[in-house]
Amino acid sequence: MVRTVYAPESCLQYLEQYAAQEKFGIGLILGQITESRENVIHLARTPEEKVSDTISEGESLLERVESMAAVSEAWVADHAKHVTRMLPGGMFVLGIFITSEEEIFDNTNASSKVKSVLNYMHKVLNVNPHMYGNCPETNEKLVLHYSNKTVVCKSIEVNSAIKGLGAKPVDWKFTPKECQWQRLDTYYEFDEVYPVLVKKNGISVKDQFQQIVEEAQKALEVSVMFIDGELKDRLDPLDQLVKKKKPKNAKSASTDPPKSMMVSLFVPFESSMPETVEYLECDGSIHFSGVVASSVFLYPKATVKEAEAAVKQDIIRSLASRFTMHCDALIDDNLLPEEKVCFNEPPRRVLIPVGSLYLCDYLFPGEAPAEALLSVRELLDLHVAAAAVLCGAETPADTSEFDALDRDASTEELATPQEASQAMYIIGISVALLVLVVSILVHYYSDIRRAVGNVV
Amino acid sequence: MSPRLKISSHVIERLSKVESDESTGCLYGLMYDGTLLVVGLSLELFEDDKNTYKQLLLNLPTEVELCGVIKFGDSLTMDNQLKDILKDVDITDNPLVIIINKEKDMKAHFLVHDKFEETQYEVLSAAEIQKQFLYVRLNTVLPLRCEATIAGVKNVMQNKRKKIASGQVSFHVQGTSVYMFGVASDVALTGISNDATVSELVDSLSPEQPAKKKKQSSNTVEIVPVNLVMKSTRDILSEKLVKTAVKMMTTQRKPAFCISMPLRVDTLAMIHRSTKLLELYSVLVEATCRALRLLETGLVEQLGQEGIGDGAGLRLPETFHFLPQELGHFLTRVVPKGIPDESMESERRALHELLNLPTDRPLFRRGNAHADNHGGRLINPHEAIPSQPRSDSVVALVRGRYAYHHYLQDGAADDGWGCAYRSMQTIFSWFRYQGYTTVDIPTHRDIQKCLVDIGDKPSSFVGSKQWIGSTEVMFCLETLLGVQSRIIFANTGAEMSLYAPELVHHFQKHGSPIMIGGGVLAHTIIGVDYNPATSEARYLILDPHYTGAEDLTTVVNKGWCGWKNGDFWNKTAHYNLCLPQTKPCV
Repeated sequence: MVRTVYAPESCLQYLEQYAAQEKFGIGLILGQITESRENVIHLARTPEEKVSDTISEGESLLERVESMAAVSEAWVADHAKHVTRMLPGGMFVLGIFITSEEEIFDNTNASSKVKSVLNYMHKVLNVNPHMYGNCPETNEKLVLHYSNKTVVCKSIEVNSAIKGLGAKPVDWKFTPKECQWQRLDTYYEFDEVYPVLVKKNGISVKDQFQQIVEEAQKALEVSVMFIDGELKDRLDPLDQLVKKKKPKNAKSASTDPPKSMMVSLFVPFESSMPETVEYLECDGSIHFSGVVASSVFLYPKATVKEAEAAVKQDIIRSLASRFTMHCDALIDDNLLPEEKVCFNEPPRRVLIPVGSLYLCDYLFPGEAPAEALLSVRELLDLHVAAAAVLCGAETPADTSEFDALDRDASTEELATPQEASQAMYIIGISVALLVLVVSILVHYYSDIRRAVGNVV
Repeated sequence: MSPRLKISSHVIERLSKVESDESTGCLYGLMYDGTLLVVGLSLELFEDDKNTYKQLLLNLPTEVELCGVIKFGDSLTMDNQLKDILKDVDITDNPLVIIINKEKDMKAHFLVHDKFEETQYEVLSAAEIQKQFLYVRLNTVLPLRCEATIAGVKNVMQNKRKKIASGQVSFHVQGTSVYMFGVASDVALTGISNDATVSELVDSLSPEQPAKKKKQSSNTVEIVPVNLVMKSTRDILSEKLVKTAVKMMTTQRKPAFCISMPLRVDTLAMIHRSTKLLELYSVLVEATCRALRLLETGLVEQLGQEGIGDGAGLRLPETFHFLPQELGHFLTRVVPKGIPDESMESERRALHELLNLPTDRPLFRRGNAHADNHGGRLINPHEAIPSQPRSDSVVALVRGRYAYHHYLQDGAADDGWGCAYRSMQTIFSWFRYQGYTTVDIPTHRDIQKCLVDIGDKPSSFVGSKQWIGSTEVMFCLETLLGVQSRIIFANTGAEMSLYAPELVHHFQKHGSPIMIGGGVLAHTIIGVDYNPATSEARYLILDPHYTGAEDLTTVVNKGWCGWKNGDFWNKTAHYNLCLPQTKPCV
């Protein structure tokens, strides 16, 4: 059976628009694969590569890619990696689109380049398994070619031993009406305490985050999902659950978009700990707490099983995304710097409206929603109003909460954070005084020198 | 209105055996349907000011609570100690006071508005209690990480109990889609109707014919396995939802020693079959908390011991459930992993005394623990034989559990030569189940090797298909278990009845299975029925020559386990009997 993919008509307009403007364009196909249907949600052109500024300072040169041959595999793969962070679970970079006049599939040079772009992308997306970069359901990626107002789509197996492109035909269909989405929401809560083991594990923030995300994945793997408080048949389609629930006012339900479903996850305690008492010297404790807000969107005919996979992917992908972003921005990977208490506050999730569903982005503490719009424009090629960004799904950490935790944690005769902050206070005042004295000296420097000169 | 009173026949029996008239006792029971059922007792010795009953409660199944006191003597006058105990009775407003005088006459009284009201009671047999009650067994593993100090353990355990009681946990009945939720969820129960009872749940669990099931449940306690799942998500509509994004706080402290271990929670609750599943949630929360307290006691005890003080020698606490025939109810113990039973004898002896149990046999060693998994073997098949009581004869049976070992088990093609080996294995299993040993059941090869090692057989014996007899069984028991045996020699099968009184004595005193061999095939004798007037005897035989599947009905109906008359023995062949002896110990 020929693989069929459905895309909203807005995608066609997007392709037309770029084909009209430029000779060559490349970008990503974002969407969802379910057994019942494959849906494309969005096409996002790969931004133009900034040539490293060795030529002249300040002037960032944009290299215009004009043919398939000039495309950088690494650049497209990097785009896919960053876009994956913005996708809820169950959504993936499904492949690439190309707008060009040159032939892609029948031109050996171009097609081998296409294959190498896809292979490279696949490899990069596989580096961090917690990102779920490659859709686990398929080994194939889509290539959509728009040329002279015609659309040709093929499916290509990545890393295959087949010589040549090995492309299979795909039936790409534009639908006038945008697909309806079943939304599922939950808040996954963390509240874990780990010992700090300087001798055993070192003191890296990155390693600690790695441990957390691995543990979370193990817990999620075995956890049981309930929808609206009930355990559902895993093979039931989601829209069936709605119908089953509301047989009376089915009329109103059919016109309204489907209501969001509440997801609960229950983790059985299956310990993978060794069956012994471990005895460790620890230098403190790590408290990892807070929530990951999760909203996933599925084709209403998708099964409960598919929804469950999407929710679980979403939570892990979101954790991995923020940890990666946080660690990339870290200057010091030391879990225990000079201070007695150290906070690591990874960026929080905000929701970005795209059509009738939401993708996401992450805001560092202190960043305004406008910052998210930059990456939306750059990576998704979308213009969204700042007001449309939903920032309330998660809230930034309240530092007073930390202080309270501090006090809790340090009641046991150990170096209290109050002491630490008192010290900071004293140092602060001393520095301020010093600055004052120096500035007075500087201000009156000429007077003083004159006075000194007079004396001499 | 004071409750109706029922008392377990085990309690009556043990009360009748109390020697001292000085001591006082506590009674434990549970309430159901306006009835107080007394299931257990302990003797309160008032040693070193510890309220032993408070500690003992942690060892009892959840729902069983302190319900009253026993006073030995004639009068109802209460001293302060008894009054204090009565104040701790929470399960009913009308604590029970049983007085027993020197003539062992027993009277039960409810304390109603500070006045004693004598009350009638009904005695419930063990079988009747099993018919009405079942056990719910909750298993889970909680990771435990804390400072290696008593305060550290106590603190973290208290937090765990708080978390369990917070409503965030749910319970899942294994093998079903039945989940019970706490207050943190909108629904209390899914997978079954809201007014379903425990009994209905059990019926839906086993698709067997109800008639067949009843036969099974007459000699086995019914246990419903439940596990614990923790709700890791927050409901969006919940008022308590704090939407703070994930964050990490690291607090540096002076280096200190920490322990990290998987805490295995394994706990029982005793439930009346008519209990609604909706009511089970709070029982299971209580059961989990009770188990955590028991585990905490075990850990704190270890930390308090010398040499372990810093936590380095801390051992994993392991939970065992015991259901001794003499006790009639479950008792749960937590023992440190790897500490041999032999070095914990004084604690067990104290427990035997506290519960007024015989001190001549182990009841609370690891081997005594209740087990559901017997490697597929049949346990005590003779219990399925309908009893035919005869008033004029003495019946003495094997005491406690044994496993039926017979031909072709474990893939060994031993038909034709392995019967005595199998009989020996059955005896060995009995010693394991009675807690005398933790040594694994020896294979045919192990037995042969043992006989070669002690010089009884040439080395070519190992791997052969040669028979062994009663003396070889005796040698092996002595070598592998340190068990001494008596050998009885019967010149002919006709002589066997002469030894029947000795067999009666053996079963009464030692209770171990007897291996019989000699000129003909080997068998295991697990009971004897002797009529002193006529000197006639019947023998309960467990036949190791059975080659079929582990099917109780076949084994019993076809006589592979059954009563045999004197003519079972060959009149012309000679017989050797190996009677394994036990030593008094706990």
